[in-house]
Amino acid sequence: MSDAGTSLLEVSGLVKDYPGVRALGGVDLKVTSGQVHCLIGQNGAGKSTLIKCVSGLVEPTAGEVRFEGVPLPVGDPNASIARGIATIYQELDLVPHLSVALNVFLGHEQRRGPLLNQGAMHRETKALLARLGDDGISPTAPVTSLRPAQQQLVSMARALSHSVKLLILDEPSAVLDDVEVEALFGVVRRLTAEGVGVIWISHRLGEVGELGDVVTVLKEGRTVATELPPDTPLDTLIRHMVGGRMEALFPDRRPSREPTVLEVRGLTRPPDVHEASFDLHEGEILGLAGLVGSGRTELVRTVYGLDPAQAGEVRVAGRRLAPGRPDLAIRAGLGFAPEERKSEGLWLDWSMIRNTSIADLSRFRRGPFTDRSSERREATRHLQSLNTQPDAPERPARQFSGGNQQKAVLARWLLRSCKVLLLDEPTRGVDVGARSEIYRVIADLAANGIGIVMVSSELAELLGFCHRVLVLREGHIVDELDGATSSEEDVLRSAVPVHHITKAG
Amino acid sequence: MAVDTSALDTRARLREMPKQELVLPVVIIALIIIGMIIRPGVFLTSDNLLNVLTQASITGIIAIGMTFVIATGGIDLSVGSVLAAASIAGGLLAQYGSWMFMFGAIGFALLLGCINGLAITWGKVVPFIATLAMLTIARGLALWMSEKTPISLIELNILQWFGSGRVLGIPVPALIFVIVSICGWVLLNRTTFGRRTVAVGGNRSAARIAGIRPGRIIFTVYALTGLCVGISAILLSGRLASASPVVGNLVELDAIAAVVIGGTALTGGKATVTGTFFGVITFGLIFNLLNLLNMPTEIQGIVKGLLILVAVALQRRD
Repeated sequence: MSDAGTSLLEVSGLVKDYPGVRALGGVDLKVTSGQVHCLIGQNGAGKSTLIKCVSGLVEPTAGEVRFEGVPLPVGDPNASIARGIATIYQELDLVPHLSVALNVFLGHEQRRGPLLNQGAMHRETKALLARLGDDGISPTAPVTSLRPAQQQLVSMARALSHSVKLLILDEPSAVLDDVEVEALFGVVRRLTAEGVGVIWISHRLGEVGELGDVVTVLKEGRTVATELPPDTPLDTLIRHMVGGRMEALFPDRRPSREPTVLEVRGLTRPPDVHEASFDLHEGEILGLAGLVGSGRTELVRTVYGLDPAQAGEVRVAGRRLAPGRPDLAIRAGLGFAPEERKSEGLWLDWSMIRNTSIADLSRFRRGPFTDRSSERREATRHLQSLNTQPDAPERPARQFSGGNQQKAVLARWLLRSCKVLLLDEPTRGVDVGARSEIYRVIADLAANGIGIVMVSSELAELLGFCHRVLVLREGHIVDELDGATSSEEDVLRSAVPVHHITKAG
Repeated sequence: MAVDTSALDTRARLREMPKQELVLPVVIIALIIIGMIIRPGVFLTSDNLLNVLTQASITGIIAIGMTFVIATGGIDLSVGSVLAAASIAGGLLAQYGSWMFMFGAIGFALLLGCINGLAITWGKVVPFIATLAMLTIARGLALWMSEKTPISLIELNILQWFGSGRVLGIPVPALIFVIVSICGWVLLNRTTFGRRTVAVGGNRSAARIAGIRPGRIIFTVYALTGLCVGISAILLSGRLASASPVVGNLVELDAIAAVVIGGTALTGGKATVTGTFFGVITFGLIFNLLNLLNMPTEIQGIVKGLLILVAVALQRRD
């Protein structure tokens, strides 16, 4: 496979700090020409940040990226493209209503005088697509008329139009079915035979064995294993991805009670949620695990009614909810803390008090007016009960830390005295130190009889204090695990779609 | 403890106070001083100042409604045409007396406001386009219903009292403008509806997650603006003693300008009725001054445009 290619990319000691978070803490990576280098790791391991540093979208804090032995200027995407590095992101960056040919030549259109040279661009697009093994795509077709797999080929054709030496593919198989993945493998093999180096990022570990030449594993922003052979057993890869379990300060599990507070039956909203059924008891903490794109977020949003369900039903304390009506879900006793806290959960310019009282304003109505002193009193009381940073709840939410902001969202639902809380990534954007505080708050809410459904990408926190964990894969609930006795390996084994588990066992 | 919180509260409120709420009163005082200097004995008389308030009242009442629309991140371009259509609708009922005129004017303006609201929420047409369509529809309705002829209201004494009467020496339109402003302030700052209006404008998805139904709020603010236009139609027709299908041209731009220089954000989520009130007064004083100096109307247009630019540029500095 790799016939002693020359060294293309050398990444050494790469560090990227965001305010309060270290996304990369020293990454080393070597890619040679004609080689498929598989990059794997859990969500948040730093894969995306790494490739953004290489493609110039993100400026690293420290470390070096050398391409063909010469240092790459940092934070300059055009320099990376000019040197022959092309990146195809998960979210395809095509202009939907332009033709295939115009997308391929976007930014470096061929001209004849001041006018576009459509003929030349069509001819070359045709040739590029043929090189990728698909001449069925018309260069004049608008991109919207193509299937996702064909759109991906257009993105690759765009990369090839720049005489690419290193091609980076971020989760290319995520949107494809098995046949399309096989076809993509063919394309990649053809390109490597031409001497192109490929970085292949994927969650599907089976692909590593089938396509890869070498494997690098990232965990928490560091390279934990590199230059692994492609026939490394799956279990070994998973062990590298998981690493030693972080013994965070998780609160004790307290027994949940008998009454069922939430019943979900056959809930369906294609393409993200299929036939989801589960029960939640008083005081129970139920985890939802799964990879990005497995439908976890979509499931809780459908339960809450933000997105209307196509089939199935949700009952809260026996009462059936109308689909697509969060206001009625709230009245029945549901509460929701969204993943995108800043853009969907809060009014950043509003005081913490206003953010807390917003879901239950009617309670403060005195005649036609709002009773602002009782609003302040009640909101402050609930914020304090969650140990929110006590100074001036009149200050805007923007000035508080992620953990305190999350507490304002939780206090909102306490004030509304909800029975069931749906939490989507409750510790996202919360400092590691403040997380155990959030865990304690969640456990206390459960101890008071609130049923909790918690989506998380952090397996450690799901297994750390959830009573049960449901595993989702491609929109289906595929497994139910006991939180106390299961391991991260158990979860990953159910969560990872192993479509191509042919060579790797 | 109690002392402590109120001190913090005051400080927080000072911080939250938009710059415009401080800037505009300063501008207004400056304008008054200028007026005293250049037209002593004419400008600073209660008659002249009440005149300013009266002239500003028609646009001012509409601007109060517009503040709620803009608070949700919307815009209502149709208010000027709806003003004419409402006057004519009232005029068609003029034979039945002043009260029927008012019923007709308010009812029709409210109806057109509701249609705006439905087009935007149920029809999912963006506010700019929906109200642009209503701008031409309402003007067409006004011309068609009136057969392009003004309707005389000379018989309607009660209606004329609303347009040019006085209570304790204060012109009725000025009084109604002040009352509408106070009601608008209370509605925005002291009721759940006001809070929800700003919530929808500030973060629509968060509002939905918090159980607010954005469509209802948005529908209501356009209906509310219709109501304000109806009130203005009564005052205007009463003052002119006739209902004309061609009144209200460009009133939408004056109202939007007053809201914007008052400090309400066009992007929604931040609104101030006090600012709108001062914005209306500021424009009123400037026109009054330029009139007293016998400046031609084209100069007024230039000054108004420059003022909008400067005020909004200052707003960006926040």
